[in-house]
Order: sequence, then structure tokens, then C-alpha cells
Amino acid sequence: MSETLKKSNSRSLWQDAWKRLFKNKASVISLIYIVGIILVAIFADVIAPFSYETQSPQDRLLFPNTTYLMGTDILGRDLFSRVIYGTRMSMSVGIIIAFCSLIVGTIYGSLSGYVGGRLDNILMRIVDILYTFPSLLLIILIRVIFGPGLFGIFFALTIVEWVSVSRIVRGQILQVKEMAYVEAARAVGVRHQTIIARHILPNILGPIIVTLTFEIPAAILSESFLSFIGLGLQPPFSSWGSLANDGFQAFKSYPYLIFFPGMAIFLTVLAFNLLGDGLRDALDPKLKNT
Amino acid sequence: MKKISHLLFLVLISFTLLLSCSSRSKLTNDTLYFNLGTEPPSLDPSKATDTTSNLVIENLMDNLTDYDISTPDLKIVPKVAKSWKITEGGKVYTFTLRDDVLWTDGKKVTAQDFEYSWRRLIEPATAAEYAYFLFDIKNAKAFNEGKIKDFSKVGIKAINDHTFQITLESPVSYFLHVSTFSSLSPLRKDVIDQWGDRWTDPEHIVTNGPFKLTHWKHDYQLTLERNENYYGAKGKLKKVECFMIVEQSTALSLYQTRKLDIITQVPTLDIPKLKQTPEFHSGNFLSTYYIGLNTKKAPLNNPYVRKALASSINRNQITEMLQKGDIPTSSLIPMGMQGYNPDLGYKLNIEQAQEWMKKAGYEKKEGNTISWVHSKTKEPFPTITFIYNTNEAHKTIAEDLQAQWKKNLGITMAIDNQEWKVYNNSLQGSHTSPETAPFHLFRLGWNADYPDPDNFMSLFTSYSDNNHTHWGNSKFDSLTEKAKVILDKTKRVDMYNKAQKILLEEDTAIIPLYVYAHQSMWRDEVKGAQMNPLDRWYFDQLWLERNIK
Amino acid sequence: MLLFILKRLFISIPVIFILATLTFCIMRVTPGGPFDKDKAIPPEIKANIEAKYHLDKPTFINTPAFYKKKWIHVLTETQYFYYMKGLAQGDLGPSYKYLGRSVTDIILDSLPVSVELGFYAALILAAYKHNTWIDNAAMFTAISGITLPSFLVAALLIYIFSIKMAWLPAGLWDGGWEYKILPTIALGLRPVAIIARLMRTSMLDVIKADYVRTARAKGLNEVWVILKHVVKNSLIPVITISGPLLAGIITGSFVIEHVFAIPGIAKHFILAVTNRDYTLIMGVTLVYAVLLIIANILVDVFYALVDPRIKLS
Repeated sequence: MSETLKKSNSRSLWQDAWKRLFKNKASVISLIYIVGIILVAIFADVIAPFSYETQSPQDRLLFPNTTYLMGTDILGRDLFSRVIYGTRMSMSVGIIIAFCSLIVGTIYGSLSGYVGGRLDNILMRIVDILYTFPSLLLIILIRVIFGPGLFGIFFALTIVEWVSVSRIVRGQILQVKEMAYVEAARAVGVRHQTIIARHILPNILGPIIVTLTFEIPAAILSESFLSFIGLGLQPPFSSWGSLANDGFQAFKSYPYLIFFPGMAIFLTVLAFNLLGDGLRDALDPKLKNT
Repeated sequence: MKKISHLLFLVLISFTLLLSCSSRSKLTNDTLYFNLGTEPPSLDPSKATDTTSNLVIENLMDNLTDYDISTPDLKIVPKVAKSWKITEGGKVYTFTLRDDVLWTDGKKVTAQDFEYSWRRLIEPATAAEYAYFLFDIKNAKAFNEGKIKDFSKVGIKAINDHTFQITLESPVSYFLHVSTFSSLSPLRKDVIDQWGDRWTDPEHIVTNGPFKLTHWKHDYQLTLERNENYYGAKGKLKKVECFMIVEQSTALSLYQTRKLDIITQVPTLDIPKLKQTPEFHSGNFLSTYYIGLNTKKAPLNNPYVRKALASSINRNQITEMLQKGDIPTSSLIPMGMQGYNPDLGYKLNIEQAQEWMKKAGYEKKEGNTISWVHSKTKEPFPTITFIYNTNEAHKTIAEDLQAQWKKNLGITMAIDNQEWKVYNNSLQGSHTSPETAPFHLFRLGWNADYPDPDNFMSLFTSYSDNNHTHWGNSKFDSLTEKAKVILDKTKRVDMYNKAQKILLEEDTAIIPLYVYAHQSMWRDEVKGAQMNPLDRWYFDQLWLERNIK
Repeated sequence: MLLFILKRLFISIPVIFILATLTFCIMRVTPGGPFDKDKAIPPEIKANIEAKYHLDKPTFINTPAFYKKKWIHVLTETQYFYYMKGLAQGDLGPSYKYLGRSVTDIILDSLPVSVELGFYAALILAAYKHNTWIDNAAMFTAISGITLPSFLVAALLIYIFSIKMAWLPAGLWDGGWEYKILPTIALGLRPVAIIARLMRTSMLDVIKADYVRTARAKGLNEVWVILKHVVKNSLIPVITISGPLLAGIITGSFVIEHVFAIPGIAKHFILAVTNRDYTLIMGVTLVYAVLLIIANILVDVFYALVDPRIKLS
């Protein structure tokens, strides 16, 4: 394991992981899909045939046809365009929240895990209390306090999500900390920052990346749940979650209104999960020689 | 190693087969299935303040008087009171009670039961929200504030077992409506003393109406059974099962699968489709949706700007977009109420609106779109802010107003939404310094407490706590006060016309948009049901003619 | 063992206390109060209501009492103290929304329903456990449990089984097994999915472990190896998350209970906040916390039973 001390070899570890990832068909397809979805999110303005807010009263509640690929909603807005723009919202919600909770969770978890002792004890007690708090209630309270803006969503979901990240990171650090190469580094007097940055973080990067791929879909699902209880994104924004929720109100009469946004959520969350599985297998050093 | 999907499937099928033949609860003409929509927060008349609780209470309790919902002007008809006299120029109301009205436990309903109920509502310890309904009664307010401890000084008196007398501070024309309020249903002191807060449990409750409560599973269902001791004409339904299904689409599914006979709310998206069936019913409601203007905040402190805003709205476009059949209106007093006058208030008139903008001191700048600059300072017309409480329909309206004012008037509006309680807080909070409040416009609706125009007009007196426009006009105030006590109908309507003209045109403090419509569905086999502007449901007037093999 | 449980319960008391205080604080900074409505209430009536529920008192520190030199009242004549005093006596107070009902009543009415539904959902889990562990079809079912928001799962089930096939009711709870099936599946799918995935990963880990290799090398029967070593050891991470999962299942799912019109406790986690029903918010928070703590203790006990390396201390 001490080979990770040398930079050149650590790169080969990553190359190895890539190689193994590319052997996994499901992961490759998922990766392509995710890249595609991100492109859609970026180029939503180019792809969408209509604006997401243009209302054409004469074209209300039309079933999918050649003009309106996914039909129209009650205000005569093109569902296809709204799903395309929804991609942008859903993906940014997912990615931003995942990153925020990852950053907060990693800092908190590494501090707790690396320093250990009394600090670890206190920090973990705080996490315990947060864990005991029903997350649903916490999210709603924060949404109410911070108002209906985007920031409220990011803040509320980050607060709930980072806790589990910090636990994962702490667990990983506790493992790595005891490794011979870390102890060796410490013995020769390498500074703490350097140990964390050079020896610990690179070694727990794998699990962190895997966590990230699972946090993104979790955030997308959480946002759709918030939409369901009326605390999701507010106009003029619309996400897949809010679109699916709009469709839910009449899924018997107009199934297409729930089907398309629902499909978008399903496929995307599935892709992230499959990619996450693939990444985990690829990055797991224990599976290296199999 | 069975596959889970197979397993689930098998479980599903076996259960369905097992049950489809057994207890598919048999439909009879005795039992009606109704969706209440939510859990009634309280069945204690003194404490209930919401429509769901009142719907149930109205079927459990009979009051002194009640509305006849089959008459267009909602006539007040006798119930427990067989007659009443109004004396001393409208100051004293004397109700004579029937002597054949029984409680469900067999005791007679007496005037003392009414006295107890009315007293309980204003008793400070009850902390009843609706105590203010009785503030027109002599000393009632002081009693509620705790300034008077001696109840005999309050104008509520049971003279004997069947005479109940009310003395007012000064005459008010709408007072008879108060005698219909379900908050003032007679109550049994002995029952309430014995059981305390739990007296409304089905095992303890004692009522005098056409139905009695026999079962209440909170947040799920309550059962009303016909009161065989009832003094009036007996209803045909023996039992009404009221469910509390909040999700409208679930209620609709259950209606369509014959688990419910009546649903009183329909998912908006389904309306266009359901509208074409004979089971769909829609009617107007004594309730007005309006935009309030913060008349203290610049630039809306200029009445001409307010007039311009009011006359550049196409209301039809809004109600069509909402798809609910709401009735566009430019006046405050809703359709179906004395004083309703659709001619009042500004209609869409873009030229006139632009004229008013000029009068307000702005210069028009033609470009691709219209815009305005102040003729002296040359500053552009500022962006105004509209707030609403988070809700799909309000959102649609806000966005449409935004688009219309931009297009018709060249005014830019920002919109912002808040959670309901936060929103109420913002409106209340604006009273301390309206000039700096973070909004120019807001939305609200008003539901009639009773079908009298005073209930709407007194909202906007300068001293009303419900007036968030910060507008006050002494002429409006005095007209409203005077109209309150006038009994002559034409004079009264005339005064309300004048008052509405001040509110809507001269000063334009609010912009009414529409009168609410409400929707219900019931099957052909449900007879006797009718839409009414109070959205009342009297189960003793309904019956069922099911096709039973 | 008993000592361990008692000790853990004892340690939990300060956690509950801090949680209650924290919730109390968050609630009070949330704008709007339980009796704020769009209809203005005359001030004198508002005063009566506030007096009745002790809402007229200062939240944490009674400063007027300080100036009056009634030292003890500075802390005791406060909303916080009144609430905590009641809580210490096991009184969760009256609901501010459902007037005349106590929070304890509301919880006692609704929690059993959620527990019942949770029990059925747990049955699915058990059925799943006994019958399969690396089955592809099961994985797929499981995947839809994690990839779809639960309202979509519910909508899908209702669309297929209630609307199209007309087999099962689209909602309601009382009256026979037919009413329990759809909500049970809708609720059970997600935990099944989570556990199935976790089992998969953890089994992959365990299969590679030295002791499994040793067992195989010894020539032990493959089925025996899987049962004795692999399944047992891969259960460990599953047990870890089953604490919160259990508490989650018991307190139900708002979406499932809302869509199927089930009178469970989950709705109060949301409605209590929108109604600012302070006492009910506190009540459901504490119920959840207590359930979670108990579930976690059970998990630790179970842990020790499965893994001899872990000792209860």
C-alpha cells in the first residue's frame, strides 16, 4: 500500500479504476446518459422548442403530438420544453446540494476523525442529535424560515444530507489513520495538513466520489418530495419534481403529465445509482486483483 | 428462491380473489358516503372556526334560526325558535322557543341552554376566537375583556324556559344572522362540566339536530346517524359516513369507484374533463378574491396610479386560465348578496388607464414597449412588488397580472410568495410602517361569515384590523356605519353603492378580481342536493335512489 | 445486557432534553404563530387565547420579573419552563389546532395506524429476506423503490391496480385486507430497495474476505459457506442502518398516508409545522426521537448477537 506515497503510482491506481469502470456496461451507459443530461441542462435554451412559460390558451391539455412532443399542461405550456428546462433545475439542485453536503460533511468528518479524542466525541454527539431530529420536520422548518427561494432548498437539504456524509468520511479516516504509511509520515514529522492533504484525502477520495454519485439522486428525489408537499421550487422555476407533482393531481385523466417528468426522474436516478455501483466496484482496492 | 415480484403478485391476487366475493360493503339507500376533506379541528361549537367543523356541527345541532338555502336570498327561517320579536327600534331581540325540541338524551332544549352557549362564547376562559360575533350585545365586549365580571349586566338572558332575550348596545341590521351561527348552538352545561374537553367524543356528546355523532376516528372518518328524537321532519338517510380524504385525486378515484357518493372538491386539472358530465356541479360562493394596494407606499400612494392599475386588467382572461368557473367581478360585494353591483369598479380600459398615468404625473415613453418617466424628476416608474401566499392558483394569477400590466400599461412588477403563516405575518407587520413595507400589492379573499354586505364593507373601514391597504376614508367609514343600522333595503343598497364607489373608484384601495365558484360531484342516485352560495350540506334534505338488484 | 440497555437509556435523556430545547427554539424563530390567521382577531380575544395557552409569557427569560425582583419568576414564568415542566410530568400539552384534544391523544390515535402499516411493510421485507438475495428481478423491483419518488410509486400502483384493473381500492384504510395491500407495497418498496442494495455491496465485500477464502479452501460446502459466513457477516452493515429505517417505517411516510388517506402519524410532521401547532411539533419530534433511540439500542443488542467481536459496553 505504501506505493500510494509516490504520485506516479497513485495515478495508475486511477487508471486502473477507469479501466475497470469501462468494463462495466451498465456504468458506461449510465455515464453517457448522465453526460447527455448535463448537456441538455446546459443547452436547454437551444433544445427546447418553446419557452417554459409561454402560454397558449387555445392549446390547453393536449395529448402528445407532433407540435408538442410531450403534450401541454393546463395553461397550454409545452411539457417537453418544461421538462428540458426542468432538467436544468433538477440537475443543479442535485449537484449543488450534493457538493455542499459533501464539502461540509468532509470537513466535519475529517476534523472529527483525524483529531479524535474529546473533539471527536463532541462533534459526534452533535451529529447524533441531528440524527435524532426528524429530517422532514427540519426541512420544512427551514423552508418556512428562509422563504420559498432557491437558497432555502439548498440550505434545507444540505443540512439534512451532510450528516450522513460526515459519518462516512469519519469512518474512512479512522481506518486510514491507522495505516502504516500514515503513521510513518507522522513519525518522520510531516505536518498535519500535509498528512491530510497528501496521504489521507487521496485514499478516501474513492468513497467520497461514490458518496457524491449517491447524493445527487438523493437530492433530486428530496426536491421532488418537497414539491409534493408544496415547498419545492417556486415559479418561474420548474423542476422534474414539481412537474411530476403537477401531473400527479390528474394522473388518471392526463397520465402523460406525470409520465414524462416521472420517467426523467426514474432514468436519471437509476443512471446515477448504476454509475455509483460501478464506481464503487472500480475504486475498491480490495477488488483490484479479481 | 421465488422472485419477489412473483411473490407480491401472488399475494395480491389471492387477497383480491378472497375479498372481491366477500365484503365489498353493500350499498344501500340508508347510508350516504361523503368526503369532508379534512379532520374537523373541533366539534365544540364555541371553539370551531372553520368550514369543515361547521358543516358537521350544522348537521348535529339546531340553532335558533337557520337559512333556507333553497331561496335565492337565503331567507332566515325558524328552527328551535318558533318566532321572534324585534323591539325598541331594533335593540331588543326576543326569541320564543318551541317546547318539543329534545336533546339526544331525551331532555328538553331550554332557553337556559342557549344562554349558557352564548355566555360560554364570550367567557374569557373559553378563549373563543369568534367571541367578537357577539360584541354588538350590551356589555359583551367588556365581559370578554374581563372588565365586567357580573354576567347579569350582559344583554343575554333566558327569561324563562322558552324565552330568550338579547339586548344590543345599539341596533344593527344584520343581527338576526347571528342567531343562525353554528357557534351559538345550544349547549348542555351539565355535559360539558362532566366531560370537559372530551364532551365532543361520540360517547359523551349530546346534541339536538337531525343527526347524532356515533363514531369518530380522528383524521379518518366520522359517522352521523339519524336522530330518532328529532322534532322536525325526519330525513330519509339513516346514516352518513363522512371521510376525511385530503388528497383530492384520491377522493375522485374513490368517487369513481363508488366508495364515495359526494365529493365537494375536484382537482383543478380534472375539471375540463369532468365539466362535461351531468354529475359535475358548480356554483358561486359568497366570497370575493381581491388585490389589495398598499396605499401608503410610493408610487401607489398616488390614487391615479392605483386607478390606472385597476383599469388595465382583463379579468376574463384570469378566470378562464383558472378553469374553475369563477365569476369575474370589479366590485367587492359578491354576487348573490344584497348590494351586489357589477357596474361598480373599473373595467379594462387601456386608454383611460394611460390617461390616468399622465394625470399621476408620468410621461409616456414610446419604444418597443410603453414605459413611463416622472415628468419632473425624469425618473423611470419603479418596479412594484406583489406578494401572495404559496399556492398554484395564486401563482397563476400573479403571473398573469404581471404579464397584463406589462403589456397594457408598461409597468414592471416583481412577484414574491410566502408560506401562509409567514404571509399573514407580513400583512400584519406592514401596519407599523406601511411606507417601507416590502410590497406594494397583495392578494386576499374574503368568505362571508354571514350573507350581509356589512360583513364585506366593514373590512375596509380605517379602523378595521383586516384592512391591510392602510387606506382610510372618513366618508366611507360613516357610510358603512350608517348602512349597518338601516333597515330599509333600497336606502341601504344606495349607501353601499356610494361606499363601494369610494373604495373602488375614487380612492381605489382594492381591485376585486372575481367571485369564487365552488365545485362538487354527486351521482344521479343522490337526490335533494343543490349548490348554494354558503356551501352548506344539510344531510336531512338528501336521499338516495340507488339501483339495487 | 440489561445494564447496557439501562445505561443507554440513561444517556439518551440529555439527548432528548437538548433536542426538545432545540426544537422549541427553532419553532419560536419561525414567523407566524398558531393563532395567526388571515382574519384578524380582535386584540382582547387574542389576549384571552394567549393567556389560556401561556403564550402571553416570555419565551425563555421573563425580564419584567427581573425588574420586579421576583428572581425565581425570571426563569419559571416562561413558556419554556411551562412546557418543560409538563414534559417532565409526561404531559405533552394541548394541541393548538385541534382544540380540545391533547397532543398525547393525537399521537395515541395516529401512531398505532402507522405502526400497523409499518408492520405490514416489514413483513414484505421478511418475505423478501427468506426467499432471495441475489435475484435480478428482485433487484429491479428494489431499484424502482429507490429511483422513484414515493408519490410516483403510489400513483403507479393506483393507476394499475385501482383504475385500470379495478382490483384494489384507491385509498382508505379500514375494512379488510384489500385496503392494506397497495399502501404496504408502496411503503415497503423503499426499505426493501435500500436493504437489497446494501446486502449486495456488503456481500461482495465479505465474499472476498480471508475467512471466506479459508472456509472455501477447507473444502466446505458452498451453501454452508454462504449461509454461515457470507450472509451472517454481510448483515452487519444492514443492521447498522436498520435503526433509522425502522424508526422511519414506524413513523410512516407522509406521501403514502396522504395519498391513500391513512390516518397515521406522518401527516403531523408536516401539518403541525404549517399550522404552527407548537405542542404537536414538539410531540411528534420527541416520539420520533424516542423511537429512534430505542431502535438503535435494539440494533446494538442485535449487533452483539450477530458479531461476537462486538461487546456491549
